[in-house]
Amino acid sequence: MPNILKPVAVAILFAAASGLNAQPTPDAVDLSSFPAKAIDDVVVPVPSEVFLVLDKLGNPNWRGEMRESLGRQTGNRAQAALLLGTVIAEGFVAVEAEDPEKVKDIGRRVLALSKAINVEKAVLERSKSIIDKADVKDWKAVRKEFDGALQDVKGAMIELGDGDLAQLVSVGGWIRGTEVLTSIVRKSYTTDGAELLHQPALVNFFSKKLEAMSNRRLADDDLVIRIRKMLTSIRPLIGEEEGAPIPAENVKKINQLTRDIVVSITSQET
Amino acid sequence: MKKILPVILLAFVLTTAFAYVDDALSFAQEAALPYVKKGFSVREDAWGGDLGVKEQQAMQAQLFKGNEYWFCLGTDVKGAVLTVNIYDSKGKLVNVETTRTGRLSAVRVVPPKTGSYFAIVTVVKSSQERTGWALVYAYK
Repeated sequence: MPNILKPVAVAILFAAASGLNAQPTPDAVDLSSFPAKAIDDVVVPVPSEVFLVLDKLGNPNWRGEMRESLGRQTGNRAQAALLLGTVIAEGFVAVEAEDPEKVKDIGRRVLALSKAINVEKAVLERSKSIIDKADVKDWKAVRKEFDGALQDVKGAMIELGDGDLAQLVSVGGWIRGTEVLTSIVRKSYTTDGAELLHQPALVNFFSKKLEAMSNRRLADDDLVIRIRKMLTSIRPLIGEEEGAPIPAENVKKINQLTRDIVVSITSQET
Repeated sequence: MKKILPVILLAFVLTTAFAYVDDALSFAQEAALPYVKKGFSVREDAWGGDLGVKEQQAMQAQLFKGNEYWFCLGTDVKGAVLTVNIYDSKGKLVNVETTRTGRLSAVRVVPPKTGSYFAIVTVVKSSQERTGWALVYAYK
């Protein structure tokens, strides 16, 4: 339950009219009455939320999207956290591809990477469960375990006082998820598919989190600096207005930007 | 002992705080159960806290057009009335369906566009000064 108390900081109390329980639900609210900090935090979706839509829009070749290598960990904690995020995202891709061996491999890798950043205990059971459920091809359960692993890892990091590192796990997962999303959309472009990239609040949220890192060593890490630049480059490409079409050219650019970063995270070639 | 006492007191306060959020979370998860049976996946992440009567709290979420969502709210206070409503980034209500039974409330959303949405939790009525709440969401 890592985020359960987060809204205490996020949330906002705004004036409510008296006799509220007698009033019907308002059809509209003035969101500008929320102080800025109310919208600082954003619920980060898990990759399968967007992958599900892609499945509904067509029949993506999920196997073709899987990376052969999950990457290697080089000892740098920022890279390990980012890599863990990409590996968990890869788990969601492998679930979509219904590849039990790959899923089991990823489950073991999640455990190994968690060990590298001292949160092994938090995901031990999850890792076993991923392997067990992949064996019986219970894909829905595996997806839930990957979601749980992500939350457990982040929760354990926050407990250890590594909130910045936890953020990097989320960012790593989002980057790999976005790489896969753009890869699929650009192969069979539709405006509905491209609209899934309209995530300005998330991009802004990650940018702010990376800029506000209290751990200077992490903030000054080469990969983190590159990711900040990548987010700045992505921001104008994902549409200003909700529902505004995102052209194929932008999808291609975002794919290139995210792919380059994933390559760097997984091989630490900066 | 002088040094230990504040630690014990702090531990007690924290344990109590987590306990009511845990209870609220159990109810939120219970509220989500019917939708799991309908093929929805419930996120492991949860959000919660406590509010006074008539206070509201908002969470911003990225939702995707093409998916369907149930936001499920639970509280630890018997007899309390809490609501959750979902608004788009322009502040327009996008609830499609709402249900409320005892300590559980839920709202279904079918996002008309991909983008940012706001889940606003309100404590409408409660016998307690502060009312614990927890929110989970399910998607399909």
